[in-house]
Amino acid sequence: MLILENRLRVLRAEHNWSQQDLAERLEVSRQSVNAVETGKYDPSLPLAFRIAELFDLPIEEIFVSPSRRSSKAI
Amino acid sequence: MMSVTAEPDAKRARFVWAAAFVIGMGIAGGVINSVHLGLIGSFVVALVPMLLLIPMVRSAERAQLAIGCATPATHRYNRRMLVVSFGYLLALFVTLGVTRRFEVQGPLLWVMALLPTIPILGMILAMGRLLVEETDEYQRMRFVRASLVATGLVLVLASLWGFLEMFNLVPHIWLWAVFPVWAIGLGIGQIANRWLFGEPGC
Repeated sequence: MLILENRLRVLRAEHNWSQQDLAERLEVSRQSVNAVETGKYDPSLPLAFRIAELFDLPIEEIFVSPSRRSSKAI
Repeated sequence: MMSVTAEPDAKRARFVWAAAFVIGMGIAGGVINSVHLGLIGSFVVALVPMLLLIPMVRSAERAQLAIGCATPATHRYNRRMLVVSFGYLLALFVTLGVTRRFEVQGPLLWVMALLPTIPILGMILAMGRLLVEETDEYQRMRFVRASLVATGLVLVLASLWGFLEMFNLVPHIWLWAVFPVWAIGLGIGQIANRWLFGEPGC
């Protein structure tokens, strides 16, 4: 299973938010934030957009495209 | 927010209440089958362990908060399941009481036979509502995944048992057993989720 890498933990730390703080802002459970942060779960496009809008960043600055990651690796 | 030490305590309490409920129901079943208590007496004996469902659900909700998987939809689901569980006990005793005491035939027998299925349909409806109302997509995905494990388990067991029964190798099992077996499968699915994601489910 291909899992997206993301910068969610770093962005959260920059805002000095706990996982619970971020979960409340996204209206999801803390466990869901943890699952996305640790790469256990890829968010849907609507949730990815909510995350991007919350941090005021484009999606690709939070989630690393798998194709770009593999091309860099080559 | 719960402290770090509160999480294992909350999880432990959930299992203690669940074990108390199962043991209590076992004892109640044994007493009802071995002592002639009458319908009201049997109902009271069965009601006592059923009341353990209330602290069990409350401790489960505390555990869900501690784990971080609690959502408004799971809270509503827990409450609905609690209500229909009591409804099931009541319907079961009404059906058993009426059919054992009176010579029920015709349409009333149909009504009595179907009465306990109303709360069971309520349980299935509560599960459907959880899937519809759950806005946390990760938690919904975990529930769907556990449901698929449960469905797979029921399909496998029903196929195996059906053929074994056809050749008189195993005793007959009533079809209503499908739902409790599916519910056990849901629990196994939650364990599978834990293996897969490394976190306990709700």
